Amino acid sequence: MVVVMTRSEHGERRAEEALLRVEGVTKRYGASVALHPADLSVAPGEFVTVLGPSGCGKSTLLRLLCGVTEASGGTIMLAGQRIEALPPERRDIAMVFQSHALFAHMSVRANLGFGLRMKRVAAAEQARRIAHAVEICNLGGLLDRMPAQLSGGQQQRVALARAVVMQPALMLFDEPLSSLDAKLREGLRDELVRLHRATGATSLHVTHDQAEAMAMSDRIVVMNGGRIVETGTPVALYRRPRHVFTAGFLGHANLLEVPVEQGEATLPWGQRGPISGAVAGAAAGARGARVSLRPEDIVLTAEEAGAGRITASCFTGASVQYTVQVGQRALRATLGGAAPLLEVGQAVSLKAVAWPLHALEEDRS
Amino acid sequence: MTGHGHARWRGSWMLLPGLGFLVLLFAAPLLMGLLGSIGIGMGQGGPTLDHYAQFLHRRTLQVGLLMSIYYGLAPVPVTLVLAIGLALLMRRPFRGSALFSGLYKLPMAVPGLIVALIVMTLAERGGLLDRLAGPLGLALPRLVRDPWGVGVIMATVWKQLPFMTLVITGAFASIPQDVIDASRSLGAGRWSTLLRVELPLAMPGISAAVLLTFIGTMGAYAIPDLLGPAIPRPLAVHMLSEFGDGHPGLMNAIGVVLSVFAMVVLLGYQALAGRARRLLGGAADGKDTP
Repeated sequence: MVVVMTRSEHGERRAEEALLRVEGVTKRYGASVALHPADLSVAPGEFVTVLGPSGCGKSTLLRLLCGVTEASGGTIMLAGQRIEALPPERRDIAMVFQSHALFAHMSVRANLGFGLRMKRVAAAEQARRIAHAVEICNLGGLLDRMPAQLSGGQQQRVALARAVVMQPALMLFDEPLSSLDAKLREGLRDELVRLHRATGATSLHVTHDQAEAMAMSDRIVVMNGGRIVETGTPVALYRRPRHVFTAGFLGHANLLEVPVEQGEATLPWGQRGPISGAVAGAAAGARGARVSLRPEDIVLTAEEAGAGRITASCFTGASVQYTVQVGQRALRATLGGAAPLLEVGQAVSLKAVAWPLHALEEDRS
Repeated sequence: MTGHGHARWRGSWMLLPGLGFLVLLFAAPLLMGLLGSIGIGMGQGGPTLDHYAQFLHRRTLQVGLLMSIYYGLAPVPVTLVLAIGLALLMRRPFRGSALFSGLYKLPMAVPGLIVALIVMTLAERGGLLDRLAGPLGLALPRLVRDPWGVGVIMATVWKQLPFMTLVITGAFASIPQDVIDASRSLGAGRWSTLLRVELPLAMPGISAAVLLTFIGTMGAYAIPDLLGPAIPRPLAVHMLSEFGDGHPGLMNAIGVVLSVFAMVVLLGYQALAGRARRLLGGAADGKDTP
């Protein structure tokens, strides 16, 4: 499990267990801050994904860890040793790049052996590791090819194998699947998970694709505007996000301003229920809070006297996505594909089934 | 004529401006030189291979070919090392780098004759360098018209350095930063990355720069004529001398030999580069599958 030095409500581990510990690491370019002081830790064998939109600082964080970009401040500990001042070649970290970054003038075999030669690994050990990587990355028959003679998927598998042979303390993945087409991406995503299980390598993965992050990770670190917003398991972040940004970025969420009274929130259709978080324990007087309600946590029932009216529907087979007008608000609700279909224009009653609601924290960025 | 035939003719007409330019400025002078070398035109008597026979029998001309090759090759390693150094220096911005990157290109605009005169002023016996070294008790070796053509090499390096630097800078710039970072993260230091990754990947640009410098220098006459030893002289200087002596046929024959040699080198390079391209850049033969 990941131990995050910031607050985390699920499965925190003690900092002593961390293989990677990042404290206050920051990157500035003149007056502009690419990465605000960031704290996080990764435990041995963990697969952690840093998730965020383009330009949020996630790749900067990875490059600082790898050492190809110099940090402006903070400390990085790997396996108990400070590494932030070490050059990349002296950190026990291997990185897989979005562009594959294969050496075009070397065969696949030479690409796989490059790092081992640089680290002066004995020839027999080199051969053993390459054979193992070829097997688990399914590269049989490609060893004597040049990178340009490989397809995109094959090139990415060579890039993975090139990192695997190094048997590093930490593997970094910088959006390794984003340059591939959708079908290939899905296949390689599964392969990456299988590879992680096979090698047990501690991995930090960066992506802007939330589905990829949810499917692959033990833990997700959500970033926005150069800051770590929130960290948690995929399930915890999806179902009970703490921050407005996380709620909006992970899947579709209805973000609602709700009045809170006596520890209970009132939803726009009048349903009342408990609310947790900073607002819930506050005073007896009426307060407001922002909450997130997932479309699948709203049950719709056809009812003439219902508070909502269907304004749009989209049947996708496994589910039906509805847009429901409730007063001035348009809400999303998702029902199973097998449920009776509701017509556009039909009046419906709404019922939230995810209680207690959680008051979201506003973003700092 | 079919519609398809008309279209083909129209296409051919559109090629004329480019083709005409090549014929007028390249093929025609080459053909005239070739004809001149076998005694046709320029007031010569008629078809003959005498000028080539003279070339084969005059040892000074054969040595001249070797001198041309020497003057073409000798400055290359020095220029190459300096150009790579400059290209690496200019890869990251430094204080005054914008001014420097403009200034270093200046020698490209200076004619070879002027370069030769500058080097002569500096490096001739009694020149500026000699006067500076004198009070220090140093005696400089002969640098101008010396048997090894040191003055020629100095002037050629000065003249060709900007061009080679420009091409090599472009070759380095075309290497993706991720590839360099990948090398570092796999355990290669800065020098190992330079030697094992960057230089091989920049090699197509470097080799093209070397080739163009070699061919350009091999045919130069002003610098070797002014700064090189009186004997032996390169073919380009012999050509000028034969022209001055009223032997256009022999001048053309020397020119053809020099051109053929340059073309052989160029074709050899093209064959090697093509092989390297096929090896490095062969089309992906698989579908985009995992």
